[in-house]
Amino acid sequence: MTKNDSDKLIIANKEIAFQNEEKENRAAELNIANKELLYQTSEKKNRAAELVIANKELIFQNSEKEDRAAELVIANKELAFQNEEKEKRAQELIIANRELIFQNEEKEKRASELVLANKELAFQNKEKEKRAVELLTANRELKKAEDDIRVLNEELEQKVTERTAQLLAANKELESFSYSVSHDLRAPIRAINGYTKILVEDYGESFDADGELVLQSIIHNSKKMGELIDDLLAFSKLGRKEVTFSTVNMDELLGEVIAEILPTENENIPKFDIKLLPSAKGDKSLIKQVWINLISNAIKYSSHKKETRIEIGASLKGNQVTYYIKDEGAGFDMQYYDKLFGVFQRLHSQEEFEGTGIGLAIVQKIIHRHNGTIWAESKLTEGTCFHFSLHKA
Amino acid sequence: MNYDNIEILFVEDSTDDAILTIRALKKSGFTNKLHHLTDGAEALDFFYCKGIYSSRNSADLPKLILLDVKMPKVSGIQVLEKLKSDPQLRSIPVVMLTSSNEGPDVEKCFALGANSYIVKPVDSDNFFNAIKEIGLYWMILNQPPS
Repeated sequence: MTKNDSDKLIIANKEIAFQNEEKENRAAELNIANKELLYQTSEKKNRAAELVIANKELIFQNSEKEDRAAELVIANKELAFQNEEKEKRAQELIIANRELIFQNEEKEKRASELVLANKELAFQNKEKEKRAVELLTANRELKKAEDDIRVLNEELEQKVTERTAQLLAANKELESFSYSVSHDLRAPIRAINGYTKILVEDYGESFDADGELVLQSIIHNSKKMGELIDDLLAFSKLGRKEVTFSTVNMDELLGEVIAEILPTENENIPKFDIKLLPSAKGDKSLIKQVWINLISNAIKYSSHKKETRIEIGASLKGNQVTYYIKDEGAGFDMQYYDKLFGVFQRLHSQEEFEGTGIGLAIVQKIIHRHNGTIWAESKLTEGTCFHFSLHKA
Repeated sequence: MNYDNIEILFVEDSTDDAILTIRALKKSGFTNKLHHLTDGAEALDFFYCKGIYSSRNSADLPKLILLDVKMPKVSGIQVLEKLKSDPQLRSIPVVMLTSSNEGPDVEKCFALGANSYIVKPVDSDNFFNAIKEIGLYWMILNQPPS
């Protein structure tokens, strides 16, 4: 052993002695700590029991809370669902609201329009009321006018009836007058004529030449008067005769007339130049009389000429056809034209040309009854041309 | 008076017309037995054998009746109507004589069955010819039913 070793051992010893002391201190502390631990353990045991209780309590509370939580979850879900529903509903309400707003606006517009329309209607109503009043007045006036017209009409009707009766009576009177004239005037004239003829036949020798001439004059004049009566009656009859219109074939009719009136034993046979004649509307028998009278006149007034030339033709204008008949006979002075168609008016003496002066009056009356016109132009000694118009067929 | 074998019965109220007509008939050679009556009533007496004609033989009928239309009392038209509606008398030819063709007489006479209707001409020559032709036609040319 070396001194170091001894020093080392002394130091180690001293170390051990120190550790020992430390261990003893430590043991004392441990002891205290142990005591403390024991206490603490007991305390802990107490505390554990308390904790068990508390734990139990907590478990209970926990379970309660869990139940509650589950309930809350359910409630929550319900709330969430309700929320969703509410949101949907809210959305819908928003849309509905918008719609309502829009409708409201529309309604307001409409309302303002209605207000305007209402005003207009009110105005129109007033106007209509005014108009109604006017109409009522007008109606009253009309009614009055109608009544007046009815009264006037009745009066008129009455007048027409009276006038018709008067006319009928006048016509009847005229007819019986014609009848009387015809019967009662003709009979004595016939007697005068007949008895004079007996004088000539049975007592002719008792008369000298002058006496014979007087007898012939009586015969001639009574005959003439008979003709005048007949002509006058024919003329007055014409005014009463009904005109029956039909299509008259003028070519055919003229042929008929010429064949009827052409003189058979006359050296002065008329030379006819007849153009194409359009048909007309008229009463055939009356139109025939027109041609008979006009052609007879043309022949009669040409009798002093060497030749008898008669030209007949027609022209169309609109719905009128105008016929003409032209002769180269004696003609007449146009200054007496206004007497040409007069009843019993003559532009030549009886010695020159015989006649009663009724022929052209009859012709004119017939043409007028057809709503036609008749006129003539003439030059003394050169000839005459008659024109008359009728409705074309 | 003897009313037998009368061939022409002439009923005319006008003496003038009667004288002229009878003269024309005679001059034309119709000397057949002619009897002149002056009105329609007498004509009916003649046919129905009344009054002065009560002794007449009703079967003895004239060949021709000349009947004036216008006569007082019973007119020619009434006589015509009576004659033409009687089966015994209707076949006797009746010639109506009148002064004019005015009025509705013409149609009426033909409707009643007149055989002819003559307007007496004013002119004596025409009158003579008319009467002569009536006699000629109805007494000679016309063939009545036997």
